[in-house]
Amino acid sequence: MKTGDGWDEVTFNNRDPVYLQVVQHFKEQIVTSKLGAGQVIPSRRELGALLKINPNTAQRAYKEMEEQQLIVTEGNSPSRITSDASILHTIRSELLEVAVDAFVASVRKIDIPVEELLDLVKVKYVEERSTEIRSDAGGDKYD
Amino acid sequence: MIEVKNMSKSYLRRHVLKDVSFTAEKGQITCLIGINGAGKSTILKSIMGLSPIKKGQILVDGQPLDKLTYEKVAFIPDHLTMPLGMKLAEGLQFMADFYTNWEPSRAEELMDFFQLDALEKIGNMSKGTAAKYNLVLGLAQKTEYVLMDEPFSGIDLFSRELIAEVFSSHLIEDRGVLLTTHEIGEIEQLIDKAVIMQKGTIVREFNCEEVRSAEGKSIVDVMREVYRS
Repeated sequence: MKTGDGWDEVTFNNRDPVYLQVVQHFKEQIVTSKLGAGQVIPSRRELGALLKINPNTAQRAYKEMEEQQLIVTEGNSPSRITSDASILHTIRSELLEVAVDAFVASVRKIDIPVEELLDLVKVKYVEERSTEIRSDAGGDKYD
Repeated sequence: MIEVKNMSKSYLRRHVLKDVSFTAEKGQITCLIGINGAGKSTILKSIMGLSPIKKGQILVDGQPLDKLTYEKVAFIPDHLTMPLGMKLAEGLQFMADFYTNWEPSRAEELMDFFQLDALEKIGNMSKGTAAKYNLVLGLAQKTEYVLMDEPFSGIDLFSRELIAEVFSSHLIEDRGVLLTTHEIGEIEQLIDKAVIMQKGTIVREFNCEEVRSAEGKSIVDVMREVYRS
């Protein structure tokens, strides 16, 4: 089964709990709009096969996401991504915060004035985004 | 649940297993890990009644071993046990004749999945192909438990990936799996419980996700602690 949803490229590290890495992957998919609000997600069995993980782990990831109200399961219907905008917004801030924390931690070792750093970040970020947009636009033509 | 309780065993006064106790639950994948000669295969053989034990007890769902155990537990050895002159298809028929829980449709599905040629002779298969055929023979039995002895050893990377894929499929789901390995590598994410062995004893038995949560350690990290100390 080819879904093209980015399920194929998930690589896990062996030191963090696999179920938390699965939750993290879902959050990234949501923030990058690859999974939309209210979208139906694979069953635990399908997810196990897609990610080549133990179905028990998939089950545990779903339980965790239900507790965090990331996904909702009503009766016998398949689980969906929540449609609650405030939760979706929280995920975005959470991921951003983690990314910025990691960046700050690695850059702190180098003594650099904040203005200089911000300028550097700005230049790099604008550059990255513009190439991204260009390649996206290029891709559309051939689709 | 398969329960091994205080099992001891010796060959010619040499202790092969000393006071071994552990459990393998249904619906979980349990992995016996240890270097060569640690006693892993001996445990599997004892559970199947192929090797007598000196002391201790083995229970499958609370019952001691009897002839019905073989309809409940399938054993996938690391070598071929079928007559080498048979064709693969004849081997499947041979199994169907002996096991009431044999499922022909499942065997067919697995033969397709591993792309095995039913008309080939069993004796002509390469090592990797033989391992895949052994998996067909074991998994096509509709048993509640499956024991696998070194399913990944001596097999190329792509075949290992193919075999690993079986573990996250419906062919395994809800069964209890107990496998042995000395190379944990690509199956780290697949197993629920690890039982680490050294010189015939069990040194650690743990739930993999719990150890990752509580200690931030991979299975290989725990193995390193055990074997380096």
